[in-house]
Amino acid sequence: MSSDYAHLDVGDDAEFRALLRTFLTEHGPGKRPKDPAGRLDWQRRWQAVLFDGRWAGPSWPRDCGGMDLPFTRQVIYSEELARARVPNPPGTGVGIAGPTIIKYGTDEQRARWLPALLRADQVWAQGYSEPEAGSDLPSLRTTARRDGDDYVVTGQKVWSTQAQIADVLFALVRTGTQESRQNGITYLVLDLHAPGVTVRPLRDLTGGAAFGEVFLDEVRVPVTNRIGAENEGWRLARTSLGHERAAGAMIQASFYQRVFGELVALARERGTAADPVWSRRLADLGIRVKIMALNAASTIAAIEATGEPGPASSVSRLYNSTLEQELHEIAVDMLGPYGLLDGGPDAVQRGRWVGGFLRTRASTIGAGTAEIQRNTIAEQVLGLPRDPAMPPR
Amino acid sequence: MPLIATPEQEELRRSLRRFLQQVSGREQVRALLTDDAGYDPAVWHRMATELGLQGLALPEQFGGSGATFAELGVVFEEFGRALVCAPFLSSVVLTGHVLLAVDDPPAQARWLPGIADGTLLATLAVPAGAGHDRAAPLPQATASAGGWRLDGTVMFVPDAQIAQLLLIAARTPAGTSVFAVRAGATGLDRTALPNIDLTRRVSRVDLHATPAELIGPQGGADAALQRALQLATVALAAEQVGGAQACLDMAVGYACTREQFGRPIGSFQAIKHQCADLQVQVVSARSAATWACGIASGEQDPAQLPLAAALAGAYCADAFVTAAKANLQIHGGIGFTWEHDAHLYLKRAKSGQLLLGTPDQHRDTAARLMGITHEQ
Repeated sequence: MSSDYAHLDVGDDAEFRALLRTFLTEHGPGKRPKDPAGRLDWQRRWQAVLFDGRWAGPSWPRDCGGMDLPFTRQVIYSEELARARVPNPPGTGVGIAGPTIIKYGTDEQRARWLPALLRADQVWAQGYSEPEAGSDLPSLRTTARRDGDDYVVTGQKVWSTQAQIADVLFALVRTGTQESRQNGITYLVLDLHAPGVTVRPLRDLTGGAAFGEVFLDEVRVPVTNRIGAENEGWRLARTSLGHERAAGAMIQASFYQRVFGELVALARERGTAADPVWSRRLADLGIRVKIMALNAASTIAAIEATGEPGPASSVSRLYNSTLEQELHEIAVDMLGPYGLLDGGPDAVQRGRWVGGFLRTRASTIGAGTAEIQRNTIAEQVLGLPRDPAMPPR
Repeated sequence: MPLIATPEQEELRRSLRRFLQQVSGREQVRALLTDDAGYDPAVWHRMATELGLQGLALPEQFGGSGATFAELGVVFEEFGRALVCAPFLSSVVLTGHVLLAVDDPPAQARWLPGIADGTLLATLAVPAGAGHDRAAPLPQATASAGGWRLDGTVMFVPDAQIAQLLLIAARTPAGTSVFAVRAGATGLDRTALPNIDLTRRVSRVDLHATPAELIGPQGGADAALQRALQLATVALAAEQVGGAQACLDMAVGYACTREQFGRPIGSFQAIKHQCADLQVQVVSARSAATWACGIASGEQDPAQLPLAAALAGAYCADAFVTAAKANLQIHGGIGFTWEHDAHLYLKRAKSGQLLLGTPDQHRDTAARLMGITHEQ
């Protein structure tokens, strides 16, 4: 690892952008492998290249291997990575667990986990949802019983992204009584290679397995793997990662600008764009894709001006998840029955649009369903009254 | 990209909101619904003298204060929120910007100062729809010994009944040109149309050999007219954001206080989710309108104005109509009464949606500009 930060601290933003662009051009990750194992290896190798060049973790502290960039440069970083079409870090640890550990972990935990996580030497998966705890996550039942210097964890987690290739699970577990709900939940980091852990791929409606199920049977987890205090896990997991999300929304927006351009090219190639009904539908989609970027840019402008992400950040996820579903469905509809083919010589662009149509069903379910998000916007942003039938938050 | 308001713009918003609470409250708006002129000349005068609103975004050389379209966007958003009844879009934006866009310094010097200080009410007659190139034929201009004469009909001319000056797009042998006609000219008939939106008046204008004065060169006025229509679309989009926000605020306020089944109706998810969806649309509409106002200010990417106008025009118009309908629905029976304001917003939303080009026409424009269909 180079300990030289000079490239991050150059005087002006344009020079910073140019240095980053040069690095990305010189070290490009190469072509995306088609098989899942090759793809994981490709993601890991690229993440190590970034880390070793001191080009990983834009918002992370430098003593954790990050870059600790001012917000404006984090945005530039996101734009350039999106532009270069490089792979994302594998797993969900870099986006979710990492910032939580940065904020609430001990110095020892930060040193032990964060550089390895950021370099993708270890892949982390999330263990929040359970078969009986989806939207009502505070009812989760995976228990952690204290035994000496260990917790003994038993239960089942589900919808853990890439669990089958992950090394580490960051999980919410019950340390209090079932009735204590969110006040009896603890945040634990556990080794997926430990005795008592079984991971099974969860075959989803796409036919693939982007998620896994994790079965935990008397798994021993050292107390030193607990983030924050016992029974404080809910608060940690709920901590707003608003600034991280702002840059993420920007990446998503530039990604969909590009996807929309590809859809327009397809529509023109097939002659559909000449049909006024279709050209109008596509224009409507293009307008909404552009607004996705404007919402992200508004959030960024608000953070830069006031330090707070502003109203656009709270609606972006609902707006974007609905729009990405519509975009793929419009594409499938536009292709007619050809849109249904997900392989073989007659499939259009190897079935990417129907693949997206199926895959994005998860967009309004995972990480808080669209209904839960609407409740949150209604109650926390608009100030509408709580449903008295719901347990207290 | 100026996507959030500056402190100066926030100050403008605050002082304007205070002013409009005094002069465009519920009672005043209600009184104007049955008023023949459809606006309050005393308030119009105060807008000019106390706040300098009419001249806000007009150049200083014509008596304006040279602020940008971003400030004008703030004004329109507040107008939309308060259902302001005034000939602002017609006189200041449409007519003012056509005059600025045509090459006719004497006409500019003669009329822009009056528009900027509110002493001259002017309007622009172009066929309704997405502009003069789409719908009904333009009036015909004929040169005669005594000057130009106009013949034809223009529908849906905003504020024509009260205008002292009408700029009229007409055909000449050299192409589309702009003509000035004074109120009271011979052969000029203005008929108020019974439009459901009583906060925004439109008229039918008939011309029978009406004497007119050519503004700018003969022919080649299409670009100036397009530009004025695009700027008006952007201003209207800002107004629609204000209207949509007012509808959402009303709906949320009512849902917090109205009780049924022993609890506020806003505690039911059926109501909550409607309000949350409106919040998504209102916030997104504001992103679109703010961006478009920034483009219209000319400070960044002026070549994007046609796309920005089409984008904001389509999205904000639809967002306001959606918000107005949902507000009415959330109010239930009371929202269906004449006494409640929900219908005033619905009618304003609907007229704004169709006045300067429908959302579908804007989407067709966007389709060309985004390269979906070929540029014509």
